[in-house]
Amino acid sequence: MEQTDEALCRAVANREPGAFDLLVERYQERAYRIAWSIVRDREDAKDCAQEAFLRLHESAGTFAEQSKFSTWFYRILVNCCLDNRRRGRGWRRLLVWRDAADDERDDDPIERHPAPVEDPGAHVDEERQLSQLWDAVDGLSPRQRAVVLLQCREGLATKEIAEVLDMSEATVRVHLHRAFASLRRRVGGKR
Amino acid sequence: MTASEHPSDRLVPYLRGELAAAERTAIAAHLEGCAACRATLADFAVLAERLARAPEPAPPIHWGAFRAELREALARRTGQAARPRRWSLGPLPAALAAGLAVIVLYLAIPGQNARLPRGDQALVEDSLLASQLDLIKDLDVVQRLDLLEDFDVIGRLDRLEPSGTS
Repeated sequence: MEQTDEALCRAVANREPGAFDLLVERYQERAYRIAWSIVRDREDAKDCAQEAFLRLHESAGTFAEQSKFSTWFYRILVNCCLDNRRRGRGWRRLLVWRDAADDERDDDPIERHPAPVEDPGAHVDEERQLSQLWDAVDGLSPRQRAVVLLQCREGLATKEIAEVLDMSEATVRVHLHRAFASLRRRVGGKR
Repeated sequence: MTASEHPSDRLVPYLRGELAAAERTAIAAHLEGCAACRATLADFAVLAERLARAPEPAPPIHWGAFRAELREALARRTGQAARPRRWSLGPLPAALAAGLAVIVLYLAIPGQNARLPRGDQALVEDSLLASQLDLIKDLDVVQRLDLLEDFDVIGRLDRLEPSGTS
């Protein structure tokens, strides 16, 4: 039977071989996705996700199991991301701009634009709408973005988001409302 | 909640079904009579649904490289990796180096060796000899000096007393 996240975290605390690798494999994509949604930079998001795993390794013994492992880990992760934002790393974007351009060139154009199976016009329209939506999400503050994405993408309840971001449920509700109101003003809500 | 009081920051939790029954009923009653809140709620629902199903916008990364970098960083942090040589000395090596320097200075001062026991003095002489190993470079000169000493002995043979006469 597959070990629960909480059991794996205990195993990491006891330095059982393989436990840390298993947790990393289980959470790496979510960690990177959440980090990217907050810091909006590939290298920074990767660094934040890795730093969160390192902190998890260091402090696995302090996980009290009063909350779910995911909530506890997301809290570590979001703190890493907010620390990263506070430090400000604009200089690195200047240094890596060439890498990003190279990555785009390396992408297989066929992979990037798979053959349409529906009306191409509708697909383009849908893509444009989603692109506008993500642009609007980019315009949110890091905390508003974190609140919205933890809820809509990761499915966390308001109470869990409050725990992750170390704020009251009432504050999370205010952030959620402001974020949704801002998105609505920028892209509307109609299909 | 009055009809004029809009439940703005509870609309999203209402959508997600997170509110207690009494609060949910109150908001439903408000929505019945408030077209603005109904429109807001409908738009929020569309936005939430689109955010949930929108394709992942995060740029792809190589997961094998991600884990390899992470393992390396973990090894560095837990001190398992070979550490690069550092020029600064820790407190213990510094104390050892200072102690060694004192010993060398003590031995280097003339006259100090006389107080050493015989075995230790031999050790010191060996050390001094070892410090002059570059003489080996001039081995042929040293060998010629030995030859000169032999000539000196041959030249004084007639003046030497036979052994056992003294």
